[in-house]
Amino acid sequence: MKHPMSDKSVTLSRRAFLRGAGVALALPWFETFAAGGLSKDETPKRFVSIYHPDGVGLPLKSDPAWNDWSWFPRGGEKDFEFTKVLDVLEPLRSDVTIYSGLSHPAARNVHGHSNADQYLTGAPIGGHGPYQNSISLDQAYAEHAGGFTRHSSLVMSTNGGAGGPRGAQTQSFNREGRPIPAMNKPKQIFDLLFVTSGRDAAERLARSKSALDLLIDNTRSLGRQLSKHDQQTLQQYLDAVRDTELKLAKAQKWIDAPIPKVDTRNLHLDAEPKEARLYFQTMYELIYLAFLSDSTRVATFQLGRENGEGPHDLLSLAVGLGGAHGLTHEVKKPGGWQNLGTYNRYQAEEFGRFAQKLKHTPEPNGKGNMLDNTFAMHGSASSSFHLSRNYPIISAGGKNLGFTNGRYLKFGKGNEDNQAGAGIATDAGWNSKMEVEELPLAKLFVTILQRLGVERDSFGGHTGTLTRV
Amino acid sequence: MKPLNNTVLLVLGSAWAILTASGQETPISLETAKQLGRVKSSFLKETKEVERPPGIMPKANVAFFQKSVGPILKKNCLACHGPEKSKGRLRIDQLNPDLVTGPDVERWREVFNALSKSEMPPKDEPDYALADADRGRVVDWLSGELNTASLIRRNSGQHSSFRRLTNYEYNYALQDLLGLPYALANKLPPETASDDGFKNSSELLQMSSMQFETYREIGLKALKRATVIGDRPPAVTYSISMQEEMDKAASGKEAKTSGKKMNTKKARNQQQLFNRETGESMPFPAGKSMPRAEAVAGQNPAVSPVVLVLPRASELKLDLDRFLPDEGTMRVRIRAGRSTMKPDEYASLRLIFSAHTSNNAEFSQVVSEHDIPVTASADNPEFIYFDIPLGDIQRNPFRKLTTTFPRRDEFLHILNVSNATGGEEPLQILIDHIEIVAPFYEQWPPKTHTVIFIASSHKGDEQTYGREVLNRFLKRVWRRPITALEINQFMALFAKYRPEFPTFEEAMVEVLATALATPEFLYLTQRVEASEPKGFLASLRSFLHLTPGLKANETKSPARISELEFASRLSVFLWSSIPDDELLKLAEQGKLRKPEVLTAQINRVLADPRSQRFPRHFVEQWLGLDRMNSVTHVTDSALREAMQKEPVAFFDEVLRHNRSIMDFLHSDYAVVNERLATHYRIPKVYGPQFRKVSIAPQANRGGLLTGAAIMTMNSDGKDSHPLKRGVWMLKRILDDPPPPPPPNVPEVDLTNPEILKMTLKERITDHRNKPACLSCHSRIDPWGIAFENYDALGVFRTSIKNQPVDATAELFNRQTLAGVDGLKRYLLTDRQDQFARAMVHKLTAYALGRPLSFTDRADIDSLTAQFRRRGDGLGDLINLIVSSNIFNSK
Repeated sequence: MKHPMSDKSVTLSRRAFLRGAGVALALPWFETFAAGGLSKDETPKRFVSIYHPDGVGLPLKSDPAWNDWSWFPRGGEKDFEFTKVLDVLEPLRSDVTIYSGLSHPAARNVHGHSNADQYLTGAPIGGHGPYQNSISLDQAYAEHAGGFTRHSSLVMSTNGGAGGPRGAQTQSFNREGRPIPAMNKPKQIFDLLFVTSGRDAAERLARSKSALDLLIDNTRSLGRQLSKHDQQTLQQYLDAVRDTELKLAKAQKWIDAPIPKVDTRNLHLDAEPKEARLYFQTMYELIYLAFLSDSTRVATFQLGRENGEGPHDLLSLAVGLGGAHGLTHEVKKPGGWQNLGTYNRYQAEEFGRFAQKLKHTPEPNGKGNMLDNTFAMHGSASSSFHLSRNYPIISAGGKNLGFTNGRYLKFGKGNEDNQAGAGIATDAGWNSKMEVEELPLAKLFVTILQRLGVERDSFGGHTGTLTRV
Repeated sequence: MKPLNNTVLLVLGSAWAILTASGQETPISLETAKQLGRVKSSFLKETKEVERPPGIMPKANVAFFQKSVGPILKKNCLACHGPEKSKGRLRIDQLNPDLVTGPDVERWREVFNALSKSEMPPKDEPDYALADADRGRVVDWLSGELNTASLIRRNSGQHSSFRRLTNYEYNYALQDLLGLPYALANKLPPETASDDGFKNSSELLQMSSMQFETYREIGLKALKRATVIGDRPPAVTYSISMQEEMDKAASGKEAKTSGKKMNTKKARNQQQLFNRETGESMPFPAGKSMPRAEAVAGQNPAVSPVVLVLPRASELKLDLDRFLPDEGTMRVRIRAGRSTMKPDEYASLRLIFSAHTSNNAEFSQVVSEHDIPVTASADNPEFIYFDIPLGDIQRNPFRKLTTTFPRRDEFLHILNVSNATGGEEPLQILIDHIEIVAPFYEQWPPKTHTVIFIASSHKGDEQTYGREVLNRFLKRVWRRPITALEINQFMALFAKYRPEFPTFEEAMVEVLATALATPEFLYLTQRVEASEPKGFLASLRSFLHLTPGLKANETKSPARISELEFASRLSVFLWSSIPDDELLKLAEQGKLRKPEVLTAQINRVLADPRSQRFPRHFVEQWLGLDRMNSVTHVTDSALREAMQKEPVAFFDEVLRHNRSIMDFLHSDYAVVNERLATHYRIPKVYGPQFRKVSIAPQANRGGLLTGAAIMTMNSDGKDSHPLKRGVWMLKRILDDPPPPPPPNVPEVDLTNPEILKMTLKERITDHRNKPACLSCHSRIDPWGIAFENYDALGVFRTSIKNQPVDATAELFNRQTLAGVDGLKRYLLTDRQDQFARAMVHKLTAYALGRPLSFTDRADIDSLTAQFRRRGDGLGDLINLIVSSNIFNSK
């Protein structure tokens, strides 16, 4: 695939950059180079996180359903055996890793209905009262890699928008801890990525610049007439305008790069969540296409919100089951564990299909296949019912980033068989005392960031990486 | 009410039944319960509120607590809520009795709620029973203290009504501003509802760069749609005369059938061309319709005897080939009449647009917003028309191919939606002429253009004219007068843009689009004094009765919003949109808040079609009707739609006729259309429109509570779900949301065969009898169990799996609810005040666009008292809210 940046518009050629690297690096290189990507030979490093609400099935060992329908595999690091929930990943065994014993310490006593907001941030948002989140993992990486591509990140969810505090409908939060609204309509995402913005794009950008100046002036003068409290609300608007200015500056740099052309024959851009299979596959396909065309290297996708009725609740129709959220409440009904497991299995199946596709695609401008250069994460901030601990996390790919797959990595102490909080289908668990030891998930985040090339040794207040990964 | 009745009812007190002469108990009728309950209202009693003289600071009455209240609590409550046991995590002995400055107001409010509803002490603890006089003492003291505390803590700045418009409000504002009837805001990121269901809650309405950019995009696109450049574009015109179609077919090879042959009963109810004079008939010819270059749109040709017969559920499919333009309005005019005029039957037209591009690749969508009824007779047919925005509907993506495959044609279907039943003379729609024009303009330039680019003698002078256009536009966008300085800003932008565009209008549209992205358009402002006229400051100071020794912001009444801001708040409340010129003008003149002007304006606003948005959005959010969208067990779309519309139509009926809000609890009428009436087994309701019909008690309907939508969304898809229904009642109707489930609650284990055998109610009882569950479930479940007579679709039933329905439940205060009838009787007799207050609370929260908090309590109480004294009319309540202190305050 051709690089989106045409040679003409690069102010400093790749060759020139390499020759004078030492000097160039001392310059504000980000400004001049960012738009064009670092280089044509540098293999892109990508990160994608898929979030699913409602956790997974975790029956007690004494329950007949344990053998087949407990989410976590049986056995040890290398000789683990998938249960029926994850057996769809068997063909990808050497490309995936399953994690247990990880969670965000600040969330361990937060009710499962409120924990999606902090899955990628680890912020101590608590269960009620004032709300302040912090930057999410994907955005921390986007700050580093966003300049290489036309879009610094792709933020998607089935429900779309930002949701409310503790009811996030997006996984991504910016540096100020404000939610970045997710896109949920395939058509809209496709248009953003692949539809040309027209020949007069440059003029429009210039006009936008003048318009934003006026809007900032106008907003400031309104702000002076408002109360302190209301000024804070208006600040959100000002921040939005400023973010838009940054985006415009970026768009300016990409203005001459041709929009990548993609094959749309198999895309169902009108798919809706109620056509679950089609919708899932279309959304995954869009992430794949965005990566393939190097339109972005960062993506998040949230499959539904916690504790809400809404479109995502219909996703379980894909496997012929009613309301997805209800499945977690009904594990004690006959066939309950199996139903929840079947739905989780379906989620894993789609994730596997996506990973498989990346694996089968050679890296367009670099080494290996696309999966080897992508860290793809799939997980939830609940394991057992409403319990914000022992997150069920799968990762796929990342071989060229330094990840060794084909393993089941158990962290922490005292819960090697995942029985803490198992077998509950009530609120008995979420507020209970922590009897076992788990490690901060942020340590995995630091590992991920470092391997993606971000120099960082802490995330969300937790320092250090995760060994063995 | 007659005085005699009054006395009787007063004597009866909380009696549930009237002893008849024979000594048999018959429950009082629900209408009697309404009267009885009203008399018991504490809001109707002599008011305890005494207007406080300004400057006197109310204080906490701790002395009375120590003397009277404390000892009562100690005697009756401490055993369970003290050092030994602290049920519900409440230590009554540790609550600070100073509600004004102490930290325990919220806990005291819970205590007040439990005591005033007689939920505490539990009835099964006779040792701790609370004498009525003692209960009264505690409740009175608490009510007074809560009120005082709320007054003093008011305006602590916790919640503000400063917020951006919701997506739907923004859409309406843009529609009203530009005169565009189409949905414009679909691209905005979805929004979410607050805990109490409101989407206009200030906290939730966040802003992001994506939201902001989408506003800019939508604004510019809408302006480009409202305005035009250059000459009127040529229109594509299809003119289809049935007479011509028949003549054409007759001269061609198409099989022609004699009237005689087709004149069987079956044939008569088929779609066909038919000559009403000769009886000749034949099928509508296949083939494409082609636009005619010579056709003149908008003509009214002589009525022809040849018509297209369109029976019920039949559709005429017109192949329009590929000539429709990409953008603009398509006007479809159809001259139609009814074959019979039976009043019980209706027939209406619906438009569907489709394409069939190749095998397995087709789409079809309804493009008409509403079905349009055909009311004229066949002898005097009348034109009806649809306007379809071609740029918004799904089009055939291959229509511009130069090859013929995939297929490029687009189809327009004209469908007869009717309740006709057939018989000897079936109701059919007879069409003699169809005209399709696109792009259609009523006039040139269109009105949407001329309200922006106004007529002016300065049109030749871009500087002067530009200022005129901006002044007019900004005034409507910002809902206030505009200063010359502000216009300068926009003219400067215009100067930058002008060289890039060939015409004044195109450059100006870009400038106006910027105005549509300003915070003053997108947000509902409430300015501090600075922007008010000078005299206002003085009046503001006198308005705040400050007390020496206290910080000003602790005691002041909240400042009033300006009259212009008030106009916006009013129109957003009742129109979900910006004010019109009349409201703005009155506000600018300072007349809007004059009582007689305001009353007249509220009436005018409510009489305007825009006010239909208020019932629709308020009721949807209040009752949580969104949840119907994720219900999967209603398969009939007409039923689903009727279910969702019913509560809105019911509210509308109560609002328009200023009926009592107690009708929401029970009414001797229903508001239904034909589809829903069939569902409810109410006979003799015809047609798709909702209307009020009287119902007998045996109909088991009346009020909102048993609405099919409510029952359906609070089911599990197969059967009723008492817990969901109970929670819904408490949250939505009684404004008494149950607490979240506590930790360590055992689950009903349905893998246990013993439990699986039980009926639902037995299961619930079994679960509830576990001590940890008891306190909450006994508060929730009875409210749901009472609805057991209504199944998962809200159909009334008397048996479940051959067992008689048991819908009798007992409330925590030992009150028995015998089915919905019993529930309604109890609410009407004993809980009218609670419901009235809940209603005031919900409507006020919606009107203000912010969550209410403890500090609003005094305002809500005072509003409720005025409302009850006025007689509970919903229309009166709207007036009271708009005139209230809280609605006029920041």
